[in-house]
Amino acid sequence: MSESLLSVQGLSAGYGEMSVLREVTIDVSRGEIVALVGSNGAGKTTLLRALSRMIASTGRIEFDGHDLHDLSPDQAFGLGLVQVPEGRQLFDKMTVLENLMMGAYRRRGKTDIRATLEYVYELFPRLHERRAQRAGSMSGGEQQMCAMGRALMAKPKLLMVDEMSLGLAPVIVDQLLDVLSAIRKQGMTVLLIEQDVFAALQVADRGYVMETGAVTRAGTAQALIEDPEVKRAYLGL
Amino acid sequence: MQLLAQILANGVLLGGLYALMALGLALIWGVLNIVNLAHGAFIMLGAYVGYYLFSLFHIDPFVALPVSMGALFCLGYLIQRHLLNLIARAPMFNTLLITFGLDVVLTYLAQMFFSADFRTINPGYAGANFTLFGITLPLVRVLAFLVAIVLTVALWLFLSRFRVGRAIRATAQNLGAARLYGVEPRRLYALTFGLGAALAGGAGDLYGVVSQINPYIGAALTAKSFAIAIIGGLENPLGVVVGGIFLGIVESLTALYVGPTYVDVASFGILVLVLILRPNGLLGAAA
Repeated sequence: MSESLLSVQGLSAGYGEMSVLREVTIDVSRGEIVALVGSNGAGKTTLLRALSRMIASTGRIEFDGHDLHDLSPDQAFGLGLVQVPEGRQLFDKMTVLENLMMGAYRRRGKTDIRATLEYVYELFPRLHERRAQRAGSMSGGEQQMCAMGRALMAKPKLLMVDEMSLGLAPVIVDQLLDVLSAIRKQGMTVLLIEQDVFAALQVADRGYVMETGAVTRAGTAQALIEDPEVKRAYLGL
Repeated sequence: MQLLAQILANGVLLGGLYALMALGLALIWGVLNIVNLAHGAFIMLGAYVGYYLFSLFHIDPFVALPVSMGALFCLGYLIQRHLLNLIARAPMFNTLLITFGLDVVLTYLAQMFFSADFRTINPGYAGANFTLFGITLPLVRVLAFLVAIVLTVALWLFLSRFRVGRAIRATAQNLGAARLYGVEPRRLYALTFGLGAALAGGAGDLYGVVSQINPYIGAALTAKSFAIAIIGGLENPLGVVVGGIFLGIVESLTALYVGPTYVDVASFGILVLVLILRPNGLLGAAA
């Protein structure tokens, strides 16, 4: 296995008095797609928020050689920890291009940003067609493309995609998964946080199953898909 | 017909200045969700900056404009950074209270330092007119109108073409998402408030050229700016221009055909109508 990019050990976190995550340990290596699956309320989004330092946590988080524990969300983002938030969270009244450019807000160097923009348009030709359109006026799938493009504009080292498939038609989800596979081939590392267990494990190299705030199963995507427990609980087989 | 054209011209010229007054208020309201009740006091301070530069140092008020704007930018930036950031995103009632307090403090400080006397910025060309198609146009009003339009377009370009301007709009629309991509709201809010105050300062300087000033002009100007911001909508600076010119024309027509004492009845009556019929402003999406 190649070098570790993100290493989380014994992470616990919660909101006020309520503890949500208990001793979570996960590992993401460079260049792989890791799926973090589990049903609603399992603590996936809380883990994401702890990783991006929006909530405090105990335990160890190491990202790209840096200890994240004392960093602000801003600093974590600066290190290349970028997320595509659940519900897309686009700037609805701004154009697609403006949304994409907001992803590059902290970057300098026009030609560099321009090159990333071309890259994003190549991945999502639809965004190029719609670049002057208000983001809020597009279909759900196009909005998700825009949200993913915006995150890519930040040149992430780790792209964390939260509930990408939510509310989208299966054929659109397949297209988006294809794009994730494509950017992985070009070296991107992806953490895919999904309720749609089957969709996520289709493209992932490895996966973690979360239940009530803890990781209960881990393994290669293939092994998890074939795991009888996972099949019964999540795939309805 | 000639009279009507003259009245319309007066209204448009007045409206350009109104638009500039309201622009800063609309910007701060739209981005920070603060209805700044001290906005009129900022305009008043901007007018005094222009007045003192003119009366003490004989600096032309149009030359003094950047100074007025710069001074108010600094004041606004500091107020936001050290006072209003404490209550950022607080319920509107809190922000109304604190900006109301600010208005009272600024007004009475102005009275202490500047006295309550009426002042006017009176450059040599103050009385100059020129005539176009039989309509008499006072030079200073035309100049003030042009400057107001230039500043409005500049703000619009800044918000739509520049990186920081885009971030200001993005933050107004979705604070959480803006933070996700590295926008630091505190600095941006201070910058936005400073910009809004600078626009008030510029408007004040121009106001001092076309009208009399004293420390108490602020409250009425806040109310007027508020009405224009509502009529024009908060989304687009150009909407504020439409709102300002619309109000200027209505007021000029009312002054002539109904009577000068009914001017405010007309403008706030229209505010009520707009709130009922088009709550997102004349250019905003229909209700």
